[in-house]
Amino acid sequence: MKKEYTISLVKKDILGPACAVLTFSCPEIAKNGRPGQFVNLSCDYFLKRPFGIMCVDKEKNTFSIGVRKVGKGTEKIIEAQEGQTFTCLGPLGNGFCFDGVKKLLLVGGGTGIFPIYFAASYAKENGIPCKVVNGYRSQSDAFLYDRFSCICDDFSVTTDAGDLGIKGNVMAYLETMSDEELSESTVMVVGPGIMMRKVSEWAINKGLSCYVSLEQRMACGIGACLVCICKIKAEQEGKEFVHKRCCKDGPVFKAEEVIW
Amino acid sequence: MSIKVNVGDVSFKNPIILASGTCGFGRELAEYMDLSKLGALSSKGLTLLPRDGNQGVRVAETPSGMLNCVGLQNPGVDAFLATELDYMFQSGAGVVVNVAGHSNEDYIAMVEKLDPFKDKIDALELNFSCPNVKEGCMVIGSSPKAIEALVSDLRKRTDLPMWVKLTPNVTSISETAKGAEAGGADAIVAINTMLGMAIDIKTRRPLLHNNTGGLSGPCVKPVALRMVHDIYEAVKIPVVGCGGISTMEDVLEFMIAGASAVELGTITLVHPTRPVEIVEQLEIYCKENNIEELSSLTGTLQMWR
Repeated sequence: MKKEYTISLVKKDILGPACAVLTFSCPEIAKNGRPGQFVNLSCDYFLKRPFGIMCVDKEKNTFSIGVRKVGKGTEKIIEAQEGQTFTCLGPLGNGFCFDGVKKLLLVGGGTGIFPIYFAASYAKENGIPCKVVNGYRSQSDAFLYDRFSCICDDFSVTTDAGDLGIKGNVMAYLETMSDEELSESTVMVVGPGIMMRKVSEWAINKGLSCYVSLEQRMACGIGACLVCICKIKAEQEGKEFVHKRCCKDGPVFKAEEVIW
Repeated sequence: MSIKVNVGDVSFKNPIILASGTCGFGRELAEYMDLSKLGALSSKGLTLLPRDGNQGVRVAETPSGMLNCVGLQNPGVDAFLATELDYMFQSGAGVVVNVAGHSNEDYIAMVEKLDPFKDKIDALELNFSCPNVKEGCMVIGSSPKAIEALVSDLRKRTDLPMWVKLTPNVTSISETAKGAEAGGADAIVAINTMLGMAIDIKTRRPLLHNNTGGLSGPCVKPVALRMVHDIYEAVKIPVVGCGGISTMEDVLEFMIAGASAVELGTITLVHPTRPVEIVEQLEIYCKENNIEELSSLTGTLQMWR
């Protein structure tokens, strides 16, 4: 039976004024969490908040998430002190599927870089050749730059400001990639909606298999309440779309199934 | 010592029912709890035809609660009968089937489809109270006369216990409850969500893409409790209390106010194991307080003069 865990914050690494990596002690999530899955974490407000898992440490029985302040709930979570306890559900949702993946192209932006980091670590551990392209606003918010550089042999960044990597968004980089470089790549992208949409369209156009991790306002996180729906192309004839649950049916979907 | 309760002629192993729309058909919550420990499950609100529900943002957090505008996304009554009813029945929890129509004809058609399955259904919950659809439901549920007329029509078509789930978005819930009783309802379920709104001050648009939504959670509990008591005083049929119930103490409050059983909804979305924890706590409470029958608490409120 799955449980609601009471977990303790064991480490907080502040990345910037409104962003931190939080590490919690929880053997079950450390053991079972997969790239692309998320946890639903309590804050001082009524509903829990969903966060993609950034990494797990099976030896220390911990998992980490990246949190960026977007509202009052995330603000409270970032303000938490080490030792503070939370309630948590997880790991939740369907993560990325790596079966049969020969080569990976991971694309991250915004808080999407945190689950992308997990996918990159997984690729490294499992010997899957992997390229990561992260889009940042500027050098000052190029979070996890060093950590990505450590685990990826092939890591590129773009910045809107142009002060690190290629100037522009991730598309500016992706469009420079040759077909040979891209051949047999599976694309996994996590970031703002517009970025995932653009990368999806590009990847589909290139004939690459592509997965996105969608984000929606959630309540239960376990598929019971139906508030976090995504529009997914219907298989049934005569029907344009179906509403799938981001939390339970996703958050990872095949790019070609998504109606943006 | 017993925590068994009756709602009219229907008996449940305890008063804890999962509220419609917060537990699907039980499958997701079965990963977190042994459903057979519950009094009952109330199904997602069913409509005659499948519904996709409302588009866009469907949830907004509020102080001690949430607004939702799901809009009755459900597979339709036929798919329910084909794939979900047996699951609910086999879960070992009591089975309450929530039906929501766009029109009187919808309710009639659904009741006629469900009636042959009476061996697997403990009660029908007539949803006259969903605030997130444009037709039927709350429109019917706002008029005591319309409720009475429809319930008495449905009464002729089934002998399944019929519970009427009422909206709090009325001037007098006692009057709508009386309408349901006059029509032949077996119980009243109160309350459904309260119509509410939340606004993004930056965009000056409602947070919910349906503009309005139903408020639920601990913030509505005092209103629900007062309404349950009003209804208990106004009608002779049993009341099933619902609205922000989150703890064992809340359950006791609702029973004292007049509820024969209770429905837990929004709290399950935050703490999915809470309902079965409350069942266990109720057993301990009865033992510790030498309460022979938990059901004896129902309606024992002594008002100040």
